[in-house]
Amino acid sequence: MSGKIITIMLGCALLTTTVQAKEHPGKEQILKDGYQGPKTCEVCHPGKAKEFLGTVHWKHASKADHVDNLNHKEEHGMKNRIYTMCNGNDIVNNLKEIPPNAAGKTKFSGCNTCHPGDHTIDVGSTGPEAEQSIDCLICHSTKYDFRKRKIVKDDKGNVVMTQDRSTEAAANIGRPSIKNCMVCHEAAGGGALVKRGFSMTKEADVHVSKGIICVDCHQAKNHKIPTGRDPNNWASDGIYMTCVGECHSEKPHKDAGINKHTAKIACQTCHIPRTGGAFSKDFTKWEKMSNGFYEPSTLKREVNETAPVYAWYNLTVSNTPHFIGPKGSRTDGKSKIYPFKLFQGKAYYNKKDGQLLSMDFAPPMATGDTLAGVASAAKILGIKDYEPVPGWQTIYFGSNHQVAPKGKALGCANCHSVNGVLNLKELGYSAKEVEKLTTPEIYFEKLLKLQQENE
Amino acid sequence: MKKALSVIMVVVVMFLASFTVVRSASAEEVKITGVITKIEMAADKKSAIAVLKDNKSGESVTITITDDLTLDKFKDHRIVDGDEIRTKFEKEGDKNISKMFKKTAGC
Repeated sequence: MSGKIITIMLGCALLTTTVQAKEHPGKEQILKDGYQGPKTCEVCHPGKAKEFLGTVHWKHASKADHVDNLNHKEEHGMKNRIYTMCNGNDIVNNLKEIPPNAAGKTKFSGCNTCHPGDHTIDVGSTGPEAEQSIDCLICHSTKYDFRKRKIVKDDKGNVVMTQDRSTEAAANIGRPSIKNCMVCHEAAGGGALVKRGFSMTKEADVHVSKGIICVDCHQAKNHKIPTGRDPNNWASDGIYMTCVGECHSEKPHKDAGINKHTAKIACQTCHIPRTGGAFSKDFTKWEKMSNGFYEPSTLKREVNETAPVYAWYNLTVSNTPHFIGPKGSRTDGKSKIYPFKLFQGKAYYNKKDGQLLSMDFAPPMATGDTLAGVASAAKILGIKDYEPVPGWQTIYFGSNHQVAPKGKALGCANCHSVNGVLNLKELGYSAKEVEKLTTPEIYFEKLLKLQQENE
Repeated sequence: MKKALSVIMVVVVMFLASFTVVRSASAEEVKITGVITKIEMAADKKSAIAVLKDNKSGESVTITITDDLTLDKFKDHRIVDGDEIRTKFEKEGDKNISKMFKKTAGC
């Protein structure tokens, strides 16, 4: 590792420690006056609440011009998408009290439980009331008491998400820590580390082990968060990030031969060799859990337990009822080979038009009746002409976290061997090219020298 | 004769040793799912015990937790009494030491 990178990483670690340890300049004032929600923040940060209402974290949707078969004039995202990792969305699976199960028990459930509002002011709402309903502290406080964030019914019967607006939580604010981000991002898709299967711990990610936190890479500008280019993450704040920038150059390796790879191979391909989490779900058959409620049948793996698949990706997305994944090829001049977490989900399709149907989770959660869930969602969406038939959908999730330490990144022989991790034939190489790319002639001398140095 | 006896002894010892290792590695790891009935942090906050009511047996199982990530979730109450947990633990002496401790619920 170059001295420059070590210096930057140490700098990041020091900065992180300093920032986290530094007290918020308004702490004394907050302790004196107490906290009254966003209007307290706005004394020093005017306009920030209104600004936040325009972000994906609030709207759960944005335009997604890079995705096929969408109306590009409309916004798409968790608010309204239908796919088979989450067969519901904020509209059909809006937070609500589900019907009683066989034991007469009920509970609250819904996709928008992570929305940083109070639910009565919901996803994508605007105006002064919406601004004042923002839960600033859930992202910015290190002393948030999660006993105070709970779902209750108010005296009018509305389902409300309460917040911790205590002076103590407000007095301990700063840049969001890993914990603040993972409060929501850890449990997406139906449980801990299920959806993308990445864990932001020092054991699982080399960046975290160096003291780097989420917002060091996802550097927000006016509450807009830059993201990578996961083909299954459609909504964005319109700003994207790559590995190349403050920390890594376009030629990050000492070895010029390895640097040549960066023209066609994404950094993640070698440096994120494993993935994890759920790899298959069946929304047509729900399992009865020991608490008497039902959940979609899910096959899961631990963090770093699964091998990724590799494909050419030009940062545009193929979106059909049975496939969501990268577009690209060897020859388009734009694509690189990226790693993906492969997921396959089963759900109901409309036999009449071939489109994937959505599901309201409340009925199947109580009784296991998945068709009742489809019927409820169809009613909410105004779909009358449908005939549900089961079918499978394949989804490629971007594999952009779980960066391995240098020694565990893929090396020459991992790809350039006959049984290597890349399926070169499927990636568009001819038999003759595959033969040429998988001879030890390419790497033998280099690896022998490395082996001798390490012995 | 002496050499043959030594070889037999070595083989027997190795066989017994491997049996012991395999037995302890496979027999002591336990996975359960259950609802938390009690969480108690140690005075130094470096460990905690959680009592889970095993969904299958209905018995109470006491788990010792030492990893920072889970302890932090106890401290800020992201994990509280009544939450359903999937856990993997190993028996070490009279303690069940947690190796994985996750809420089953998600959105």
